[in-house]
Amino acid sequence: MASIKIKTEVTGSVWKIEARAGQRLAPGATIMILESMKMEIPVIAEDGGTLVELHVAEGESVNEGQVVATLTG
Amino acid sequence: MSAKPSDDGSWQPEVDELALRRAQADALGGPSAVARHHEQGRLTIRERIAAMADAGSFQEVGRLTGQGRYDAEGKLLGVTPAPYVMGLAKIDGRPVAIGGEDFTVRGGTSWSGDRKKGGQGGFVEDMAHHYRIPLVNLIDGSGGSVTSINRRGHSVFPGVHGFERSVQLMGEVPVVCAVLGTAAGGPAGRAILSHWSVMVKDTSHVFAAGPPVVERSLRQKITKEELGGSGVAVELAGTIDNAAASEAQCFEMVRRYLSYMPQNVWHLPPVVDVGDPAERAEQALLSIVPRNRRKAYDMRRVIQLVVDRGSAFELQPSYGKALITCLARMNGKVVGFVANNPMVYGGAMDGPAARKQAHFVELCDCFHIPLAFLVDVPGFMVGRDAEAAGTLREGMRSVFVGLQASVPMFTVVIRKCYGMAGMGATDKNGLELKLAWPSAEWGSLPIEGGVAAAFRREIQASPDPAAREAQIEKELRAMASPFRTAEAFGVEEIIDPRETRAYLCRFIDAAQERLATSVGPKPKYGVRP
Repeated sequence: MASIKIKTEVTGSVWKIEARAGQRLAPGATIMILESMKMEIPVIAEDGGTLVELHVAEGESVNEGQVVATLTG
Repeated sequence: MSAKPSDDGSWQPEVDELALRRAQADALGGPSAVARHHEQGRLTIRERIAAMADAGSFQEVGRLTGQGRYDAEGKLLGVTPAPYVMGLAKIDGRPVAIGGEDFTVRGGTSWSGDRKKGGQGGFVEDMAHHYRIPLVNLIDGSGGSVTSINRRGHSVFPGVHGFERSVQLMGEVPVVCAVLGTAAGGPAGRAILSHWSVMVKDTSHVFAAGPPVVERSLRQKITKEELGGSGVAVELAGTIDNAAASEAQCFEMVRRYLSYMPQNVWHLPPVVDVGDPAERAEQALLSIVPRNRRKAYDMRRVIQLVVDRGSAFELQPSYGKALITCLARMNGKVVGFVANNPMVYGGAMDGPAARKQAHFVELCDCFHIPLAFLVDVPGFMVGRDAEAAGTLREGMRSVFVGLQASVPMFTVVIRKCYGMAGMGATDKNGLELKLAWPSAEWGSLPIEGGVAAAFRREIQASPDPAAREAQIEKELRAMASPFRTAEAFGVEEIIDPRETRAYLCRFIDAAQERLATSVGPKPKYGVRP
């Protein structure tokens, strides 16, 4: 099973985590919501998969391109 | 003469020699070089042209060019073909000039004949210029080699085969460059001098100079992929516009791109009716923008729902992601869509997004493709990193390019339209038609950002500053309804989002007269900021 690294497209902070480690996510499901430029930006499991690990916690700052979660396809 | 004269007085011996020479040309660098090339997952230049062009349409020019080898009597032993194959071909029935380096002969390095076949200043460029047809460059070469000093007995001044024709073509005919192997030096520069470029993931690389030169100059050990793979060239640098998963997909993308282009700047792009009714109204548009202003939405879906079904072709999808640029059709006519992407920095325009917009607006203006802006921009990107990255300058350059463009532009304000970036999404030189969705809001800057600064004293003097700030925000927001601006004719129309396609199609149809009477090259004056 391929390991999928989920990267953020924006610099900002983690506002809300919506998925738990071990959870099976449908394609397009929201993993977490970031706050950037006063907007809520969802981080999505585009092709779906099982959430193996979250690399960030709520309130933490993230940089553009940072890996925030790992999934297996 | 190398062929023996014939007994019957015909030219059969020479024709036989011609057949032999043609066969040598078709064999490229020979079976083992071709096998090595195939092992790397790459097609030969002849296979590439055959895959790119309409079946049987390739008319080669300069097939006999190369280095002949002769015995003591002057009899031909063989010819090493020049490492460049080119000619005329058709793509979707329309003529193009097409050519590319042959990597199987000396790695596709430059070759010095009496006249250059390809690359900058080559015959293939002259053909595109004189016949006013698109140029398709299939690039797989590393440019000059120091070994040419040996061959010539002197070193060559840079630009002896210059880029002047390549630059001229940028204002005349569509130029497409596909990087299909390693492009360094001249061929890499040639790839950039194009209206649109594409490279193949994993098998192609583009850089000013490759790993050996980098290691010698900077003592950096780096792989080709790390230096100039699509991860750097397409996603990070925007040096190349799009990435393809395979050579076959790459050719498909070139064909697709050209389908939106006229043959040259003296014509309009072809109209292709796909039978999608102009009045089609999509229910999904009514609720696609969340009522919660903090929530982002899928702007790509807005584009797909508005344009002729399946007609959107996105350029630079992985660079400057705060902005989406697509070629698409509306009621059959080609239109360039520029849309802010609220999923990335709320659509704020950063340096790469501004660069992308400037190039796309210039591209559409050059080929008489009207522009439609789907606006949701809070302004230029803010913050120390954005300032240090020159966002203001890049942003104002994109505004400048927009103000020099003379092609009709249509503005649809989806949500936010603020500041200089918002102004850059309007047709200030033209009719300045602005349609707005009920979710639209605009101003010099967003209310929430501006209240604290503009009402600082009043807020500070209040016993509950936070409550006062919220109160002022609420009062101002009530007056910011788009209907109030429409009353003042400050925006020409508020539309039901489902009417977007019908409205745009009518105005784009009406603008065809203007487009048809404004063809030709577009001179540019002044200095870009």
